[in-house]
Amino acid sequence: MPDALMRVADGSGARRPLSRLGPRPAWLTRRVRAVCAPEGSDRRSSPVQELLDGLRVNTVCRSAKCPNIAECHGRRTATFMVLGDRCTRDCRFCAVAHGRPAPPEADEPSRVAEAARRLGLEHAVVTSVTRDDLPDGGAEHFAATVRAIRGHACARAEVLVPDFQGRAWCVRTVVESGCEVFAHNVETVPRLYETVRPGAGYERSLAVLAQAAHAGGGRLVVKSGLMVGLGEEAREVEAVMRDLLSAGCRMLTLGQYLSPGAAHVPVSEYVTPERFAEYAAFARRMGFAAVAAGPFVRSSYRASEMWDLARAWRGRNGRDVANGVPPA
Amino acid sequence: MEFRLPELGEDAGSLAKVTFWYVSAGDAIEKDQPIVEMMTDKATFDVESPVRGRIAEILVKEDETAAVGDVLCAIEPAES
Repeated sequence: MPDALMRVADGSGARRPLSRLGPRPAWLTRRVRAVCAPEGSDRRSSPVQELLDGLRVNTVCRSAKCPNIAECHGRRTATFMVLGDRCTRDCRFCAVAHGRPAPPEADEPSRVAEAARRLGLEHAVVTSVTRDDLPDGGAEHFAATVRAIRGHACARAEVLVPDFQGRAWCVRTVVESGCEVFAHNVETVPRLYETVRPGAGYERSLAVLAQAAHAGGGRLVVKSGLMVGLGEEAREVEAVMRDLLSAGCRMLTLGQYLSPGAAHVPVSEYVTPERFAEYAAFARRMGFAAVAAGPFVRSSYRASEMWDLARAWRGRNGRDVANGVPPA
Repeated sequence: MEFRLPELGEDAGSLAKVTFWYVSAGDAIEKDQPIVEMMTDKATFDVESPVRGRIAEILVKEDETAAVGDVLCAIEPAES
């Protein structure tokens, strides 16, 4: 083994890049494969990115600077982001640009569906920027995108929606589109909302999930996610899990918060893989049908596999995942 | 062959930094071997080689930055 590799492998961490918390731990190093191209070729991005660019389809993968992008594009998947790339809110954890968005594009749902079809997706995830400027918060645009994906690409549709300022009729519009999974992230524990998610409300987000579970009946699976490493305590995370279950949420994602830059909330702690495993075990015992927890887990990371987990849970338990009744 | 920086989650206009070369020009490399460590705001990446071969030339030095698609080094792929 070359000397250079041993210097990293010996655990000294001497060559690890520094952040405000000191060296990043080894579990936050991601392996990616270089693009190998003949000299002089003009290939600069992955075939998936080229396909998306060709259809003018935006992804949260790129807008949020997601470190999983190479892995997901390698699996020929991506999470579509509709309604523009500018958000009307300015959450302090999020890399998506803040500003005045352009009006919705009427042909965007069909372009997204065409991207899902060309990628051969079985399970397509659609999210959006928050559109507090639109009377329906973009709910009808979500619904049109879901219908296009299910009809044109014959894929399952998972939506990851904003809080629609708590308007239940917007939630119903999305649910009635026929999506299989309805996701809305609580993002963090209630104590940290003011610093991390100003403009949102913990109780409001729980209400959105409960409204979706109610409107979806037994057909819909409700999902939520949290970032950890923002300064929360384990008992606070566990309390959020209880609240989510009570709201009818049955799928949970937990991932390490990584700061997109100096203007954003700094990382407070690098949560260990062991702690993630403890959170996941706790959540499964509590009654979640599918749990993904780990440093690089994001809301839609391997969403299709989470769907399979939820299906298996239903098989084992002989009842719908989304029956709206929390387990005893 | 040119060994190019894959997508690390940086958008157009933002750059990733080369923090460590595990190899030098002239070194033989195996397929899947990490050859360079890169850092973005969000994470650290070990970029591995898709081919077996030899490093011909390193083009982006440590502490320099690169954008997606930039050539990091040149590789002579092994025969067979």
